[in-house]
Amino acid sequence: MKFFALLAGMILLSFILQEFLPVFDWAYGSRLMLVHAVFFAAAVAVPFPVMLGLALVTGFIWDARYHVPIYPDDAAFGMVTQSEIPFGFTILIFGLMGALIQGVRPLFRRGRWELPVFMIGLCTGLTLLIEYLVISFQRGGLEISMELWWKLLMTALFSSLVSPFLLLLLSRVADRMRYRIRTEGLKRRHTYDGDAL
Amino acid sequence: MSRLNIIFLLTFVGLLIWITLFQPSAVGWVQRGAMVALRPFMKASNELDGAINALGSESLSPVQLREKLSVAEQDRDRLKLEVIQLDELLAENNQLRQALQYREKSPLSLVATRVINRKPSHWYNTVVIDKGSSSGIAVDSPVIIPMGDEAGLVGKISEVLGPDSAVVLLLTDEMCQVSAKLQNSQEQGILNGQRGALRTLPNLKLRYLSKEAVAIPGQKVISSGTGELFPANLVLGEVVSVSVGIIDAEATVKPSVNFDNLVDVFVILPADRAREKPAEASTLPSNLLSPAPAAPPVTPVTVP
Repeated sequence: MKFFALLAGMILLSFILQEFLPVFDWAYGSRLMLVHAVFFAAAVAVPFPVMLGLALVTGFIWDARYHVPIYPDDAAFGMVTQSEIPFGFTILIFGLMGALIQGVRPLFRRGRWELPVFMIGLCTGLTLLIEYLVISFQRGGLEISMELWWKLLMTALFSSLVSPFLLLLLSRVADRMRYRIRTEGLKRRHTYDGDAL
Repeated sequence: MSRLNIIFLLTFVGLLIWITLFQPSAVGWVQRGAMVALRPFMKASNELDGAINALGSESLSPVQLREKLSVAEQDRDRLKLEVIQLDELLAENNQLRQALQYREKSPLSLVATRVINRKPSHWYNTVVIDKGSSSGIAVDSPVIIPMGDEAGLVGKISEVLGPDSAVVLLLTDEMCQVSAKLQNSQEQGILNGQRGALRTLPNLKLRYLSKEAVAIPGQKVISSGTGELFPANLVLGEVVSVSVGIIDAEATVKPSVNFDNLVDVFVILPADRAREKPAEASTLPSNLLSPAPAAPPVTPVTVP
């Protein structure tokens, strides 16, 4: 329980640190999405119900801070009441991506970080791509350019680069708090030991 | 899937639906709370950003450093830290004086604000300013910046986060659409930015020009005033190129405002708010009113 509370604290701290992270113009306006990286790293380390709780908290705070209420053109005629990306949409995305990344949890429990690191980057990129597609859908035209792919790729890359450090931190903290992320699976490397804590 | 997981999943979905059904007022309340909590960090990050930018602009190559060192050695007896500080103050004073003079001459009701956070959104080109509803700022209020005797359009208010903060949607965003025209021409069109905030300073698109439109590279693009959201004659940019399509023509426009370096901007108050809040409309940042050395005294501005 202490470990879960600490994870929630880490996510809150990442929101503060996110304010200080710059936008890299040379990388097509991409940035390190620290909040996403921390959440996805935490999603690998916790059971499904806790992941849903973290998705709720993280998505809610993200939308509270970063949601921009841009309304589609139809709103002028009273036809649309929701903004392009509705408030709370990030919770859904975090929930979906968290569920996806839970698929590599057994690997993480066995001490294999390659795929979790890749998945953290992939999920960050997918999150942004889904947001972009929703915006494009609302505006009635899909504009796909090389710059867009570069922006998504660079953002995903930044997340992947920082994720080993986050996973290492989580492992160390879990050890300190005697929360068992890695169970007997480490000893029996090629034997899946179930999802029990 | 275990029963516990299903219960948590259903609870998650229920809460998600409840949150997505929040009314705009509730969303505003939540966002105000987040703004209050994170505002100190936003300001601190902006100050840090400014400090880093200042360092970057002074970074020199080793050759330049050697040259500078030799010059500094020659002049070290003369140069004092106070002189450097005075120069900096004088430059800032001149910049602010320019802004103040524009404000005094402008017939519009303006509120001077300062940018406290840049590029907070991933897909939208936005900045956060330090004035909000208490100054009479409302959604869709135009935001401008003085450029000599003219004013350049920065964008419009997309959201008022609270009494002392608001979000500005920059002109470089696709959703900030301005009715524009070519200077010294009757050609009008719609100017907007590009989707996705992919670059800090993307070129703008002036669409729906007539096929016969004569647009010369370098020709100024200004706001036409049609639509009554943006005042007429605000400087928007310069024509870079023109492409003629089957039905209409489209010009690529380089923005006049340097969106990468926004510090002090002005918000044009709606007519009704300007009447309600004349005192707020004349409010200037404290540094605008502070006396500066080595420059003529600046008198506080009275309510127009």
